[in-house]
Amino acid sequence: MSNELYQLPAYRLAEMLRNKEVSAVEISKAAFSRIEKVDGAVGAHLALSEESALETAAEVDKAIGAGEELPPCAGIPVGVKDNISTQGIKTTCASKMLEGYVPPFDAFAVKKLKEQKAVITGKLNMDEFAMGSSTENSYFKPAHNPRDLSRVPGGSSGGSAAAVAAGEVPLSLGSDTGGSIRQPAAYCGVVGLKPTYGSVSRYGLVAFASSLDQIGPLGRNVRDTAMLYSAICGHDPMDATSVKREYPDFSAGLKGDVKGLRVGVPEEYFGAGIDDGVKANVMGAIKELERAGAEIKTISLPSNEYAISAYYILSSAEASSNLARYDGVKYGYRAGEYDSLTDMYEKTRSEGFGAEVKRRIMLGTFVLSSGYYNAYYGKAKRLQQRIYREFAEAFETVDVIATPTAPTAAFKLGQKINDPLEMYMNDICTVTVNIAGLPAISLPCGMAEGLPAGLQLIGNRFSEGTLFKAALGYEEISGGFPGAAEIG
Amino acid sequence: MSNHIDINHIAKLARLRITESERESFEREMEAIVGMVDHLPDIDGDVVLDPKNVMSLREDEISGERFARDMLLANAPSVQAGCLVVPKTVE
Repeated sequence: MSNELYQLPAYRLAEMLRNKEVSAVEISKAAFSRIEKVDGAVGAHLALSEESALETAAEVDKAIGAGEELPPCAGIPVGVKDNISTQGIKTTCASKMLEGYVPPFDAFAVKKLKEQKAVITGKLNMDEFAMGSSTENSYFKPAHNPRDLSRVPGGSSGGSAAAVAAGEVPLSLGSDTGGSIRQPAAYCGVVGLKPTYGSVSRYGLVAFASSLDQIGPLGRNVRDTAMLYSAICGHDPMDATSVKREYPDFSAGLKGDVKGLRVGVPEEYFGAGIDDGVKANVMGAIKELERAGAEIKTISLPSNEYAISAYYILSSAEASSNLARYDGVKYGYRAGEYDSLTDMYEKTRSEGFGAEVKRRIMLGTFVLSSGYYNAYYGKAKRLQQRIYREFAEAFETVDVIATPTAPTAAFKLGQKINDPLEMYMNDICTVTVNIAGLPAISLPCGMAEGLPAGLQLIGNRFSEGTLFKAALGYEEISGGFPGAAEIG
Repeated sequence: MSNHIDINHIAKLARLRITESERESFEREMEAIVGMVDHLPDIDGDVVLDPKNVMSLREDEISGERFARDMLLANAPSVQAGCLVVPKTVE
């Protein structure tokens, strides 16, 4: 029974607005009502911006009344991960270090949403500074998986995935550095896209690893996800890594089709580390693609063996540099007592950062330090080139590459938190994509022991159009993706 | 390549203080993590930049948003006369 507003897809809400079947204020009120009902249990939102949301919704209703044409995302509720700057709204990165920090500016992606008069519901929970894969590293509270509240929603964009899966919002923004959109999307049974590096501006995204980070969309279906991606992609002169390029509207006239689609299946991503249930679901999905006319081809991406090591070296090195700015001087947390500048720095950083953040800063500092740089960082950079070349070669003969998104389904809260290495293994299928700067989308592909499993489709740079077409094709073949979870 | 990582030295570089109670588990975790990343193959060759992917920098001009000073200082822990207050930086 999906006739409640909070259960409807964003594209359906957009239609209803234009047909005057519902008002933007009604849609927003339904979202906040749903949030009030379930977010106590889910923990997806860290902060709500109800007042400004209803103001924006009222503006949209006024525009509809005046017969104005609406931008695609007008009046649609969207949650924003708490490492994306929102002017006047606390942006904490789920850290004590930025607990009270209020940005004086909007991120480019937020500006784009505001231009479309999307309704920003609030800020979403995450692992501290985007470091983690369970949202258990949030300083404030963990988030819970709406499909099974005793389990993690994944991370670091756990709040973004959970808010969408719980029906709190139809759309959310997350960020992905090593899998942080895709893996929680897989755990929560929703769609998540990590865009091509450089296609979404990082201006206003609190930096973790600048050469890997990307903001991206999450939704309960492919069309919604494409709609949000179209809203936020584009060149931004404020981000020197933002690529000068024109993008089409990816959701306009989007048709699903996999006939003739060449799908590469890399054997290295289906090894012993992948849970049997997940493997069966993903192989099942690939078979369905084949039955619908896709050409399946076994390929090899041998550098996957070293990808996790290269990823943790590269991302931690960049993180140690990016997080050096948190010193208690100009903004953020400052220690209460100190007797010198150095003492202030050390106390501020030791008290303000959680354990996982400290581990990554230490690892990054180590691999960049004198005497170790070539052995670790230098090697990782050369391995990055090799990974890049392997993908480039593969894309000469295939259009997309299909893998599991994560090696397991969602695990229980507390299960892996005391074993950092075990936690890092959650990323084995996702990190190569960030290392190579490629786009990849995670799609729900059935259940493994009652929990969602994720199919990852990887594309060549700027091939989001191909990915969306294939993804929608799969969505239709599979009979549709899960709706909003039943909670409580 | 030795896995041993000099925690004190690295912490000092990173301006972090590892407390005595944290030290043992921290050392263990760091050694394990470094052990994991230790196994990279020796790859020859230089890192090659992509000639098609040129980073173009904008002109060094203020364009777009301007911020009032007090807006930027609004998040500062300690401000006096429009300046940030910190412990003495020069002896």
